[in-house]
Parts: sequence; structure tokens; C-alpha cells
Amino acid sequence: MISLLTDPIRHWWEYYRQRPFGRMVELFVARIFRGGGDSDTEGLDLGIGLALTLLALPGGFVSILLLDKYGTLLQWMRGTLNLDPLLMSVPDEYFFIVLSMAVTGAAAVWRWDAIFPDRRDYMNLVPLPISTRTIFLANLVAVLFLAGLIALDVNAASCLLFPMVVGATQNKFVFFAKFAAVHAVGVVLASIFAFLAVFSMLGLLMAILPPRALRRISAYVRGMVVVYLVTLLCTSFAVPDKLIRTRGPLPPWTLLFPSCWFLSLCQSLRGRAGPAQMELARLPLPGIAVLTVVALGCYAIGYHRHFVRIPEIAAVTAPMPRRSRMGALLALVLQTPFQKGCFPFVWKTLVRSETHRLVLTGIGGLGLVLASQALMNAFAGAKSLHQAALSPEALSIPFILTFLIIIGLRMVFEIPVELRSNWIFQLMLDADRQECQSLARKVVLTLALPLVLTIAFPAYVYLEGWRVAFLHALLVGIWSVLLTNIVLIRFRKVPFTCTLPVFKQHSIVLLLSVCFGYLLYAISTPEFESAALAEPLRMIGLVPVAAVAWFVPHRLDQSTIEIERKLIFEESATRTVEALRLSD
Amino acid sequence: MLEAVHLTKRYASLAAVQDLSFSLRAGMVLGCLGPNGSGKSTTVKMLTGLLEPTRGVVQFDGHNIQDNLQAYRKRLGYVPEEAHLYPYLTGWEYLEMVGTLRSMASRTLETKLDSLLELFSLHPHRHASIGTYSKGMRQRILLIAAIMDNPDIFIFDEPLSGLDVASALIFKNLVQALGQQGKLVFYCSHVLEVVEKVCSDVLILRKGVVIAQDSVANIGQILGQSLENTFLHLVDDVDTMSVARDIVAVMKAA
Repeated sequence: MISLLTDPIRHWWEYYRQRPFGRMVELFVARIFRGGGDSDTEGLDLGIGLALTLLALPGGFVSILLLDKYGTLLQWMRGTLNLDPLLMSVPDEYFFIVLSMAVTGAAAVWRWDAIFPDRRDYMNLVPLPISTRTIFLANLVAVLFLAGLIALDVNAASCLLFPMVVGATQNKFVFFAKFAAVHAVGVVLASIFAFLAVFSMLGLLMAILPPRALRRISAYVRGMVVVYLVTLLCTSFAVPDKLIRTRGPLPPWTLLFPSCWFLSLCQSLRGRAGPAQMELARLPLPGIAVLTVVALGCYAIGYHRHFVRIPEIAAVTAPMPRRSRMGALLALVLQTPFQKGCFPFVWKTLVRSETHRLVLTGIGGLGLVLASQALMNAFAGAKSLHQAALSPEALSIPFILTFLIIIGLRMVFEIPVELRSNWIFQLMLDADRQECQSLARKVVLTLALPLVLTIAFPAYVYLEGWRVAFLHALLVGIWSVLLTNIVLIRFRKVPFTCTLPVFKQHSIVLLLSVCFGYLLYAISTPEFESAALAEPLRMIGLVPVAAVAWFVPHRLDQSTIEIERKLIFEESATRTVEALRLSD
Repeated sequence: MLEAVHLTKRYASLAAVQDLSFSLRAGMVLGCLGPNGSGKSTTVKMLTGLLEPTRGVVQFDGHNIQDNLQAYRKRLGYVPEEAHLYPYLTGWEYLEMVGTLRSMASRTLETKLDSLLELFSLHPHRHASIGTYSKGMRQRILLIAAIMDNPDIFIFDEPLSGLDVASALIFKNLVQALGQQGKLVFYCSHVLEVVEKVCSDVLILRKGVVIAQDSVANIGQILGQSLENTFLHLVDDVDTMSVARDIVAVMKAA
């Protein structure tokens, strides 16, 4: 039965992919997934299947986690009966909308460079007997196909599982079907909106900027989009509640968050929207239409300006002035040729490699959101500036930021860059010299500590005086060093030069450890500090904790056998069964 | 003196190089020829210490290079077959990094880089990112990286790939000059004319085995032919003319 339906489609596709246009669409779809741009970046290029699976995972996971909230038995045991499932599901629906927008937007930002055909495509396709218009249309079809595919993929799990979870509270199939249909409309449209928004932004930049400026400015724009998406994700904790309670005129802030429009659309389709929400529900469809027009228009202009004129654009950019402001300062910190050679490499990779910069921007965005929430909480319950500054929330800000910088950098160090170029390190570096930890520590602390010294310390000197400022900066500094030591246990690679680690069996444990570490580092420590600053002698209570945090990594490093200290350029998977190869 | 003593490298059951032995004396420019898959790249990787031989040793001045790889590499300049460089670094930054890893004094390094970049016509582009460089420019960066620390041993793997005529001529003269300076040069190439012109000796590999090794003049004399004909005679199993005719026939087929 199924083959009766699928066979004609398969035959049609087989026929179509033999035609030049179909082949080009296939080529563009593959290049968008597998990477583009002029660089030969490896390591993070996932296959189409894996990429689609990863995109679908968050929606599925979150839906399953919600079983706890909607389970009728659990509700009965909690004594909560006769709840309105539609009202209950509003915050979760909003979260799914935001998640769908964030994942789709992030995927579009991730593949920003691959969405448009580049110099490599020009060199390969233009000499063939194909018109540039055909290339344009093929790429456009590929982009639109992917927009649809990603929108369906990202939301597939939540469109099925979330209505099932909510529908479990009711015994009617009609309820499930209606809920699922409305939910699917909301999240899929939100996904398409997010993709088109990123696509239009890219097209707009291409249409108005010259190539060199585009390369530079697009990096910042991508960063801003990532920060916006993180912010959007963080609104899921507060916005639905505020939106439901809105009785009067439309609050202007809702216009800034398209997620509110799509939630209102869902509410209006269910007949649950108030006047303000009805007004918002009118925005999504015109919004998508406008974005489509803008995206197509800008794409056509951008294509003409950039792709068609690639041969006119000089391959070599003009020389740039050399900058060496940090040189003298670094000479004091970096002692060996290994450190002197590798530190600038690591630093420049962080600043210039788009993948690394994007991941760091995302982490930075999360840090800013968490820090601003902490700041708002600090002022919410305080009667004076003085009281707010000494609250655990305010004190936690540098802890939150340093935690995210340290963990984020540790994570980013694992992302490889241009693996084929690491031959120079394999050739030049002594595999037996254990300097990777020291190098990585210096990079991490160079990024994390100035934050404390240049922002937190002067702020607390101004607000609370030298003593509190000194103690606070000292504690953040020591905690940063200890956390850095912990995350760099058995680190033995030059950052970015090693293959991507395989998924290890203890990855879940690692993730839980990070969450637990965050609680200890960024929540519990500031709470203790807040109490201890009144009586500084109490700070002594932290000495044993610091001693343990110093001793454990130190001991673990000492117990590492020589072979496991050697510099590596390839992460090998741990095998369950190892062949002895005695015959070799 | 650099010596390869009974070098064998196996990848699982496949022998990429078998029982390869040769020596490279000071002032000698040894050309290494062989068709694709003959074991040239594996040999180069073993000579640079990037790959450990399954059997045999590479010795420099009588010592196994694996005993003190770092000291050996300090005296080695290597140009790999493909110019894989970090595209987001500028030419200057890349060379500065290599020089620093080679423990060159920063003042000497800067002076040398300035002069070498000038001589290789890269000075105006030194602060542009490598990603914007042409293949020839990347190749010149690799050449500068190999020679800037004045090493004693040079291993060049297809060093002329992508170079323009002027740079290629400069490089060919440079290789000869290095030989005259008493350096050891191991030169892998497909370009027979260049090997014939710049190398004093030649080593011909086929399926991982040395099939001829002598001075360029002697090899030609023995067979009474040019190096190209000698190479084809020794290495190729195919009649190149008939293959060319077959290709044209297929091309013209409807």
C-alpha cells in the first residue's frame, strides 16, 4: 500500500534528478548541509541524516519531559483536579514556538555562508553550459525546500508528542486532533518565519554592502541574531504569563517578539484570544508574506551583485595594518616557544573562525541574559542600591559570566578548525612536553579574569568600598582559577587541532556535572558570600572547599600515566572490546 | 648524513613502502620520482618523522630520528605536497607562529620575514588573510616557512605546484644553491625536467620499492635515454601513446 504511494514519487524524483536542474538542486541542498564558503572547514560538517536528527531532538525531549506536568495520575496524586488543559498548555506552547524559532534560526545562521552560492560554485558551475539564471533558480528552490524541510523536521516530534501529552488529560480524539492541528500551524509557521527572517537579513546585507564590508559586517550581524535567539528562548519563562494577563491595549513590547504573534495565532484559532491577542494574531501571515517578498527581492539583487560578479571581485584583499598592542603584555605571561606560538593561534581562531565565534557568541548571549535576570532580581527585592549590590543575585553576576566563559571555552576548544592544516603542529611540537593545559589555562583566564578586574572590581569599589571589592574580586578570581583547573583535567591537545570527540558514554554525566557545577559555583557561592561579606571571617569557611577543588585535579593529573599525557591530534573512540593483535 | 635504513611501512596488510634504503649526504640533492601510489608521500612522512616506520629506521648523523625528534625537526625544513594553511591567519601571522614554534629570536624572525616576504613578492600581501591567497602565494608561504630558520635538511614534496614561472625559476636556482651550501635536499616531484635539472641524484620508486637509484647522469647513461624516457621505461606498465589514442577514440564516440 505504502509502496503504491511512494513508488511514483521515487520514480519522478529519479527521473528529475537526472536533469541538470534537479541535479543542481540536489547539489545545493547537499552543500548547504555539508558546508560551503571558501574555507575547507572540517569536523562539524554533519551528514544530512544526523543534522536532521539533531534538529528534531529538542522538541521530542521537551515533549517527553512534560509528561510529568500533564500526567493525570500525577495530577490526581498532587490533588489537582479539573484543570483546563488549554490554559495549562499556553506556557508550553509558547516554549515550543520559541524553541522552533530558535532552532530554525540557529540552523540558518549556522549555514549562513552556505545558503548562497560562492566562488567555488562559480568556478565549478559557470564554465558548464548552464545559465546563471538557472543556477539562481536551483539555489532558490534548494533554499526553499530546506526551509520547509527544517520547519517540518524541527517540529515533527513536538507536533505529535506534545498534543499526545496534553491530550492525555482528555478522552476525546477530537480534542487531540484539533490541538495538534493548531499547534502544528503555530510552530511550523514560526519556524518558516525565523528562517525567512535570517534569509532576508542575509539577502539585505548582500544587496546593500560591497563584498569586503559584507564579510566583516555579516559576522557581527550573525552574532546579534544569535544573541536575539537566546534572548527569545529566555523569554519563555516570563512572556506567556504576561501575555495571558494582558487585558487592555496591546503592549508595545509584544511587537518585538514574533513568538508572541504565533502564540496569539494559536490562541485565536482555539477561540481563547483576548482583544490584544486577536490584534497580534493578525500579524504572522502578513509578516511571513512581507519577509518572503523581501527575501526573494534581496536574494535576487544580492545574487546579481555578488555571484554574477565574482570574477570582478579581486581574490586578494588590500593589505591591512599590523596590530601588536598585546605583544608586550603577552611576553610577560607566555614563557616557552610553545606558548608564544600557540597562544596567538588560539586567540586568533577564537576571534576569526566563524564557527567558534558563533558558539562563543551564543554562550555570551546566554551569559548576558542570565546576568541581566540576576541584576533585575537583585533590584526587585532591594530597598537601596547598597542592599542590591550585596544581594546574592548581584554578587552572582561575575560568577555566572566567568562560569559560562570557562565552560564555553572548554567546549569550544574541542571544535576543530581546518584539521588538514594541523600538520604544522604535528611537525613542530614535542608530543612529550605537557604544555597544553598551561596554554589553555592562560587563554581561559585571559578572557575570564579581566572581566572581573575591569567591571566587577571598580563597580564594587564605587558601591561598597575597597574591602568588599577586594574580597569579591579575590573570590571570583580564585574560583575562576579552580574551575579552570577542573575543566582542564587531562587536557592534552592544542585547542582546535584535534578531531571532534566522539559521543562518549559519560556525556550525560558530564552534562549533569556542568549543571551541578553551575549551582555550586554561580548560585551557592554568591549566597554564602553575601552572608560572609558582613563578617569577612566567615570567608574562611570557603578555604576547605577551595583546597579540595585544587587538590582533586592536581592529584588526578599526577596519577595520569605518561602515555596519556602525550599531545594528541586525534580523538579515538573507546572500544568495548579491544583486539590484542598478537599475530602482528 | 640522512639515511633511510630498510624502511618499511605497512597500512594493515598493505605495504606502502618496502625495505627502502638510501643515504643523503651534505650537498646532495636527491630527487624522488614515482607514479601515484608508489610510496613517495609515505617515504616523505617517515623522513619528517610524521609517520613511524613499521620496520627500519631513519638516521640523521648516525642517530635514529625518533630518539630525539624535536632536535631533528629543528634542523628540518619541510614543504608538504598540499598547501594546507589556516585561512583566517594572515601570511605574516602564520610565518610568525612557525618561527616562534621554531624558537627563533623575535628580532631575527621579523627581519628575516620582512626580507623573505619581499624576495618572494609577498610583502604587499603579508597582512591579508591566507584565505584570500592564490595557490602560488600559499606555496610561497610554505617555502618561506621551510627555509627561514636556516635548517640543514630540506624535504620538498612537489614544491613548485602553483608557482608562477618567475617564482619557479627562483626556486629551482635556490635548490641548487642549497646543495652548493652543503645542505641535504630531498626533492619529490612529478616534473621530470625539474628533477633532471636541479637534482644531483635520483631515486625511482614503484609500488613501494626502489627500482633505480643513482646520479641523474648515470641513470641516463646506462639506458642511453633522457630521464623522462628512463622513468617511463622503468615505471610505466602502459603504452602511453596507445592510451592517449584510446582516450581520443572514447571522446569521439557518439
